[in-house]
Amino acid sequence: MSELIKPQNLVLSTEQLAMLMPYLIVAAGAMLTLLAGVIRGSSDPEANRRKRNLAAVLVGIATVTAGLLYTAKIWGEPGAVLFNGMLAADYYTGLMNAVFLAATGLVMLSSYSYLEKERIHHAEYYSLALFSCLGMMLMASALDLIVLFVALEMMSLGVYVMVGFRRADVRSNEAAVKYFILGSAVSAIFLYGVALLYGATGSMNIAQLATSLKSDPTGNPLLALGAVLVTVGFLFKIASVPFHMWMPDVYEGAPTSVTNFMTTGLKAAAFAAFLRVFIGLNSGGQGGGGTEGGLDASLHDVLWVVALVTMFIGNVIALTQKNIKRMLAYSSIAHSGYILVGLISGGKSEYGYSSVILYLIAYVVMNLGAFAIVAHLSERGDRRCDVEDYAGLGYRHPWLSFAMAVFMFSMAGVPPTVGFAGKYLIFSSAVQAGEIWLAVLGVLCSAIGAYYYLRVIVFMYMREPARAIAAKFAPAAALVVLVATAGTLQFGVFPSMLIHAAKKAAMNI
Amino acid sequence: MTTQNFIFFSMCLFFIGLFGVVVRRNIVIILMSIELMLNAANIALVAYGRELEHMGGQMAVFFVITVAAAESAVGLGLVIALFRNLKSVSTEDIELLKR
Repeated sequence: MSELIKPQNLVLSTEQLAMLMPYLIVAAGAMLTLLAGVIRGSSDPEANRRKRNLAAVLVGIATVTAGLLYTAKIWGEPGAVLFNGMLAADYYTGLMNAVFLAATGLVMLSSYSYLEKERIHHAEYYSLALFSCLGMMLMASALDLIVLFVALEMMSLGVYVMVGFRRADVRSNEAAVKYFILGSAVSAIFLYGVALLYGATGSMNIAQLATSLKSDPTGNPLLALGAVLVTVGFLFKIASVPFHMWMPDVYEGAPTSVTNFMTTGLKAAAFAAFLRVFIGLNSGGQGGGGTEGGLDASLHDVLWVVALVTMFIGNVIALTQKNIKRMLAYSSIAHSGYILVGLISGGKSEYGYSSVILYLIAYVVMNLGAFAIVAHLSERGDRRCDVEDYAGLGYRHPWLSFAMAVFMFSMAGVPPTVGFAGKYLIFSSAVQAGEIWLAVLGVLCSAIGAYYYLRVIVFMYMREPARAIAAKFAPAAALVVLVATAGTLQFGVFPSMLIHAAKKAAMNI
Repeated sequence: MTTQNFIFFSMCLFFIGLFGVVVRRNIVIILMSIELMLNAANIALVAYGRELEHMGGQMAVFFVITVAAAESAVGLGLVIALFRNLKSVSTEDIELLKR
């Protein structure tokens, strides 16, 4: 009745194996890192511990570097579909994989000194991060909803543990349990949606789902329910408004380096997968500037409202936050709203979905740096994380404050930064797509947002120092901040290279 | 037995699970409810796979079972860590992070 899985399609050719290498490298590296966690050498347990952590972080960084190099090597090659249509290896996958690998590597670099300071340094941290990174990479390349589900779980399971990494601290435990319960319940909802879609269309492959949706537009209630459940799953993972309640709590309770990982990698991966499914189902694979991209009217209306409310609630609640981690969590919710605007209007504008990809990369770069700074300025146990504690930072640590100011300006969308380039592209594509009201309201919301970003800068430069900030910045963490600052400014001043890559990636989905 | 019956059964299971996640306060019972939801999806996948004569659905169940096992391992680990510090497994006692 339906297609069989042909054995000859499962045999990997050399070219296909080459396409798979980044995934294999990360998987092997994650297991090696796990092995590094049991190194013994001397009788002194403290020396052993140091040795293990150092070995783990080195293996982790080496893995990420090898993965990045290999991704870059196969990037230009024509795309391929692996495993009987389960996995895509195309330009889009390459770009997203590079983003995930780079984010994971930078987070690991900045985590080392942070975990030392917090005295929760265990070698497993790096292994969990790598497994999670593998899940992200698979999410961006999944063409089949079951592969997507397994990748999603792979990514999330590692992070659940990382959130609870500060084992003796009840806040970290609570955040982990809360995140775990909500996350896995939503995964189950997503899976049930997949099962219903499978029953209604006879396939779990995104392309085949799209064709059977087109050929049979009769309103099967199970089909509609399945689509709703899958959408709920995605909306939860990107923390858009009706499903955003978990995010501030989890961001606050998790160790800050883990928050950094979540805000960059996890969110980017959720959006990367959402984008692929969304494009696959709505415009039948027409990525860049697809003129026929007719969004389903009801989905369009739902997303329109969700995007607007997400931008509004995120920005308004962030205004009242004292804790900078919570503030950045709400700002991250607001950023989800902006990206949803790009998603809604992508099908009808000439930029296509490239605005979404560009904004995602901008978001990753600026948050990476901001959270690295927050992590290292806090005191042990993530105390002194309030905006007030940044008073007078500009006098004591001019370079650090400069970097923080750059990230804050970028998040607010002030011109010479990548945040501006991203927002500009998102809102101009919304205007092109005829979503004038959404664009106007979105810009107004982001104007509200400017207040709390600038408040951090005001505190840093215009208030008297309230306390001695003993920021001992390890060279590795300083390097991460430097890379993020350079990226924010470089892509902000010369965004054309990134826009070009994003456009090509959007065309290739 | 028609497919409809199986789907009806799996929907009942799914909503019982969802209800449990939303209503119950004991985290261990919430974990069990989540397992119920995953297994409801399994039943639906197998039933549809049989109706469509398509192996995909039945194969997917193996992946889901594996994921569910990993998930409960992680979940119980987190609950134990929480219990050590909080001396409780009730969501009512999770209040530190609320404002």
